[in-house]
Amino acid sequence: MRRLSLSGRLALLFAACTAVVSLLAGVLFSRASEAHFIELDQQLLDSKLMTLRSALQGASDLQRFAERTTLLQAELSHQPDLALRIQGPDGQTWFDSTENLPLPAPIGSDLHSLHNADNAYRVYSAALEPGNPRSAKLTLMLDITHHQHFLQRMQHLIWLTVGLSALATALLGAWAARSGLRPLRRMSEVAAGVSASSLTQRLPQDQMPAELANLARTFNDMLGRLDDSFQRLSAFSADIAHELRTPLSNLLTHTQVTLTRPRALEDYREALHSNLEELQWMAQLVNDMLYLAKADHGLLTPRREALELADEADMLLEFYALLAEDVQVSLAREGSGRLKGDRSMLRRALSNLLDNALRFTPAGGQVRVSIEERPGGLRLSIENSGTGIAPHLLPRLFDRFYRADPARREGSSEHAGLGLAITQSIIRAHGGQIHCESGRGWTRFVIELPTKD
Amino acid sequence: MKLLIVEDQPKTGHYLRQGLSEAGFCTELVADGISGQHLALTGDYALLILDVMLPGRNGWQILQAVRAAGLDTPVLFLTARDAVEDRVHGLELGADDYLVKPFAFSELLARVRSLLRRGSAAPQETSLQLADLRLDLIRRRVERDGQRIDLTAKEFSLLEMLLRRQGEVLPKSLIASQVWDMNFDSDTNVIEVAIRRLRLKIDDDYPNKLIHTVRGMGYVLEERPA
Repeated sequence: MRRLSLSGRLALLFAACTAVVSLLAGVLFSRASEAHFIELDQQLLDSKLMTLRSALQGASDLQRFAERTTLLQAELSHQPDLALRIQGPDGQTWFDSTENLPLPAPIGSDLHSLHNADNAYRVYSAALEPGNPRSAKLTLMLDITHHQHFLQRMQHLIWLTVGLSALATALLGAWAARSGLRPLRRMSEVAAGVSASSLTQRLPQDQMPAELANLARTFNDMLGRLDDSFQRLSAFSADIAHELRTPLSNLLTHTQVTLTRPRALEDYREALHSNLEELQWMAQLVNDMLYLAKADHGLLTPRREALELADEADMLLEFYALLAEDVQVSLAREGSGRLKGDRSMLRRALSNLLDNALRFTPAGGQVRVSIEERPGGLRLSIENSGTGIAPHLLPRLFDRFYRADPARREGSSEHAGLGLAITQSIIRAHGGQIHCESGRGWTRFVIELPTKD
Repeated sequence: MKLLIVEDQPKTGHYLRQGLSEAGFCTELVADGISGQHLALTGDYALLILDVMLPGRNGWQILQAVRAAGLDTPVLFLTARDAVEDRVHGLELGADDYLVKPFAFSELLARVRSLLRRGSAAPQETSLQLADLRLDLIRRRVERDGQRIDLTAKEFSLLEMLLRRQGEVLPKSLIASQVWDMNFDSDTNVIEVAIRRLRLKIDDDYPNKLIHTVRGMGYVLEERPA
């Protein structure tokens, strides 16, 4: 079953509320008018009773009563809606003002209502001489049919009001809800318009009502993140194609040119060697990209070996010592720390950073690894002297295929620009963070790794 | 030395066979898992090179059958799959080594030689020699043409490796792994520098060079006719 729409739901709720409120008001009003009528009737009957008592003064038996009948008739003729029965002390009926009085046999002494098929009456009984137990008994009946009709009309009117007001509020409520929910519809329009090619649309956050501003902000943030990831992803695919195109075209051209005519053996060998270099570069690129793809899918699951970071750093520095000596850069390590992590992954991460640092340190410079234990974590930084990196480039350093030096030849056999991205993936797989800071004459990569288990 | 290659991709199989034959091995190539398993169980092979994804029976099933039959023939897996679980799975089943495609042929050759060498216990050598280059393992001394050469510890290890595997092309990754224990893909040129410095000490002053660069593949220590 389809769920009721929000505006439909609101309209129904409004209608129900109005119905309940108007019903309550109507019931109260009709109760009050009824009570008011009873009070009026009581007063009327009380005054009639007084008049009758004085008119029938001394009529203690039927004989004496008969003498006063004329007076009584005259009195009653003033009040056509009033009927009267007088009974003697023995219960014998002395007088009925009209024939066929619809009176039930015993009547209490207080005021109450009586209904028959056509009419409604207010009935009131009292002794003719109060205080005398042998007194004759008066029963007064006031025809209140027109009051009852009025009350019934009132009730109909109340029901009509309830119905009409409920209907009216339902309609008005539906309209109000629809216009109140317009921002939601706008949100859904934006959401409907979002596709891979149009992630740039945003909700007008300032124009949203307070209740929706938060949702709109969350929604916009989500769009922002999607847009960002998507941009990176499409840039990545474009970069892959671009990176592979250069070596592929080299391979194609070189092979085709080599095959166009017979050549000396040495030329073939040279061609194959050259192709081999391109192919190796491509194989390395594919392997690196697979590694990153695994990291993206959370498939890089580091082992947790107990590592002494100082030892690991020293081993890497030893590995790079020859290279450093070759480019006349000194290597140093300070501090130490323990960590549970994946040895070969962390070595790869640090090795990328060292390799990077060595490439950008001028002769006579220094590369320093510092390890610092901190509460809950470990801070490892690799700092090198050199020209430094412009601040606006720092966040982009870890982007795939990003090269700080745009002059580097594409498809060079050295680096595809994935090293820092791989390092970042490894650090993240260990639950850590890496960032780069740079100033005049120095650059520092800082890794923060958690040490808790 | 007879090797069995089970590889369903014709081109890969062909080149593996050609490369290994030219490296001096006698090789047999089949392209499906069922005949692969049959041969592995009945033939007398020194080494099995198995692809994981094969028609009929996959490489792991072949390995299981081989181990179940009580054969301890070394097994080297080739696969395009690089999930850690795969690697662990293969090694748990008793694979001896694992290479992920794309790999360098020189890498494969080096690993094949390592696996084959593992079986035959090498005699305890006290010195290694090639032409007039001599390395004394006990006194940790190196001489060329009677001249003593001073090497650092790493240079000594590097030269020892080259001498032990003379005539083999050693890829840079293998050298990094064996000498420096660096087991990761690294595109650094540390090895180039190390080789260059070793050359400076043992080759530069002598007319017949022993360390040769095989472009795109690695380094080899051998005597070549001038």
